[in-house]
Amino acid sequence: MEILLSFIQALGFILCAPLVAGMIKKIKARLQNRKGSSILQVYFDLVKLLNKDSVISSTVSWIFTAAPYIYFAGALVASSFLPIFSFSGKGLGDFFVLIYVLAIGRFFLVLASLDAGSAFGGMGGAREMFIAIMVEPALLLSMCTIALKAQTSNLTIMAASAADSPFSLAYIFSAVAFFIVLIAETGRIPIDNPDTHLELTMIHEGMVLEYSGRNLALILWASAVKQMVMILLFVVLFLPWNLYDSANFLWLVMKVLIMTVVIAIGETSTNKMRLFRVPNFLAVSCLLSLLALVAQ
Amino acid sequence: MQYQEIAAHSLVKEVKDIYNQGEYRLTAMFANDERNMKGYFAIYCIFAGAGRFKGLKAVIGQEALQFPSLTPFFPSAAWYEREIHDLFGILPVGHPDLRPLVLHENWPEGLYPMRKDFAIDMHVPMGEKPYNMLGVQGEGVFQVPVGPIHAGIIEPGHFRFSQAGEQIIHLDAKLFYTHRGIEKAVEGLSLKMAAYQAERICGACSVSHAISYAQAVESIANVEIPKEAEAIRVLVAELERLYNHVGDIGNLCAGVGLAVGISNGSRLKEILMRLNESVAGNRFLRGIVIPGGVSMDVTPELVWRIRKDLEHLASEFTEIIGLLQNNSAFLDRVESTGVLSSQACRDLGVVGVAARASGINVDMRQDYAYSIYNELHFRVPLYTSGDVAARLWVRKMEVEESIKIVKEVLEKVSSKQENLLVSIPEIKPYSSGFGWSESPRGCNFHWLMVGENNKVYRYFIRSASYPNWPAVTIAVIDNIIPDFPLINKSFELCYACLDR
Repeated sequence: MEILLSFIQALGFILCAPLVAGMIKKIKARLQNRKGSSILQVYFDLVKLLNKDSVISSTVSWIFTAAPYIYFAGALVASSFLPIFSFSGKGLGDFFVLIYVLAIGRFFLVLASLDAGSAFGGMGGAREMFIAIMVEPALLLSMCTIALKAQTSNLTIMAASAADSPFSLAYIFSAVAFFIVLIAETGRIPIDNPDTHLELTMIHEGMVLEYSGRNLALILWASAVKQMVMILLFVVLFLPWNLYDSANFLWLVMKVLIMTVVIAIGETSTNKMRLFRVPNFLAVSCLLSLLALVAQ
Repeated sequence: MQYQEIAAHSLVKEVKDIYNQGEYRLTAMFANDERNMKGYFAIYCIFAGAGRFKGLKAVIGQEALQFPSLTPFFPSAAWYEREIHDLFGILPVGHPDLRPLVLHENWPEGLYPMRKDFAIDMHVPMGEKPYNMLGVQGEGVFQVPVGPIHAGIIEPGHFRFSQAGEQIIHLDAKLFYTHRGIEKAVEGLSLKMAAYQAERICGACSVSHAISYAQAVESIANVEIPKEAEAIRVLVAELERLYNHVGDIGNLCAGVGLAVGISNGSRLKEILMRLNESVAGNRFLRGIVIPGGVSMDVTPELVWRIRKDLEHLASEFTEIIGLLQNNSAFLDRVESTGVLSSQACRDLGVVGVAARASGINVDMRQDYAYSIYNELHFRVPLYTSGDVAARLWVRKMEVEESIKIVKEVLEKVSSKQENLLVSIPEIKPYSSGFGWSESPRGCNFHWLMVGENNKVYRYFIRSASYPNWPAVTIAVIDNIIPDFPLINKSFELCYACLDR
């Protein structure tokens, strides 16, 4: 039963994720004095792409066609784990599993980026891995702060423990640390620029340049889901304040809305940093997490 | 214009002599088919230095269509000689890189379009010449081909990076993809009709090209245009500089993904483009500068509109520049990125903003004052660091100076005058001359030889982007690949100016 409900939760994520992505786009546009496209635009794009044929290079192996599905499945599984309701991911919802389910998707996407042999794909894949090796420890460390307190790596119990714990310095530190990781994982400025057309500067977009049609739709969709997973992880672990009764579901939505605004403001107010400064930025995240661990 | 006439075989020696005099540097080099009047091809070299120009005409002998290459001694001659080789089939002996420049591998061998016996409407078959992009090979070195079709709405150009990790160790650029043959197309046109072509060489510096052409015509015809017309020319030239620089600063922000800078840059550029439209009836200020003067007067209402818009622009511009200047994340991206040394500038004959950002004090408005620039008060900004930031701040200061110039010029044009256009008299056939102007990117140099009945005999265009493109390939070395778009945008060179 719980597994079924978790699956329904994942479906909910899939349906809502493009909306969150669309909202961030809309808020960014407004912040830049543009009207921007409709907040439903991401849905329209997905429908358009799903109706198109994929152009697949004759030199690629099965990995190229399989990667979008694996990436999508990873995002799907991760979203079913998130401890939003009392049933979510019971027993399975372990944060190590969550992180590595996402990592499998990334791994296959990087392999696929190399598959077609295009220069941009290779560059994007290399950069994605270069950043991933720093994002993963930072992500683990910041979540360890919560896990240590809860004495478990189970996400449901972690969320409950986070909800009950009072505000502390350690909490703020790990929240900031996680936010940095959130920016990196969702490919946003200052790490990556989701809106750029400059192939040479791309990271995530560079990896998927070879994709088109249905495959591209899956990747875009999965990225939106992954982004929503990261936002909700932040919300349930670092902006908690009671979440199990039904009135609080509205609160949860409010918090997600607040996060979209924060992300949009963050992305509009600064520029992309030099690629080789990214390690320093992520090191700040690691350091804050370590401080948070010590402070506990 | 008087040329020192020499035989082609002594070209290198003569040019060395000229360089040894100190000031003079090569500004333009081109060939001319003079077989029907004198029976030979000639290579013209124009040198500029210390406010003066010097012309050299090397006559190519009957026995072999060749001349000794200047490139081994003067790198700035490299492209000119390759172009002569492509378009005239005259061989620069000793040139280290004779790959096709203007006409790519699909142009057949043995057809030289700038020769007079090449009919412009001739059917040209597809050719298959070899073309090797230069790259570095070795373990861990990758070649990254980019273009010629790019993701943004820009013109075609192919870039071949050799990278070790993220670091660029070599860049070869293949440009000239959309060669239009304007120089050939204007041959035989009347001076008036050719002016339209000159103005359309490039969208971003229409006025500058039009001024260079008009001045070339006027200097050959030896006419002086009314003061008021000169003032209007300066006015539109500075308006052109303004919209270019403001737009370029906004574009530069796109290179680092700074959304605030991009949207404000485009907004301010739009204000200026609309101002252009109210001045000229089109957004690129076309149709105003014509040989012999200008086509329109500036009404008091227009003066008022320009003043008001520039007032508005100046305050907003200062605000936006403040956002950039106080933004450490932004400064971290632009400072020490894409450094172009002043030595490289001198060797390649770099002009314009790029030269002034690398400590080379060259501005045609100041050094080779044309029009009424010597009566105006403005400073030429100079930076020495040669990085992206320096090119940005040079543009920023030039915007401020241009606003001042426009205001000063508006004082001069406020008086209504009747005649803004003098007619061009019949010109003695085969007299030649040149005009120049400082475009937003640097010196646009036009050389013109008038044939019979005031028709164009030979027209040579050396735009500002021409000597600056090779500098981009030097400036990116040792930078990382993701910084290339930023460095490229800081030069903001024009493809169309090459594809003339």
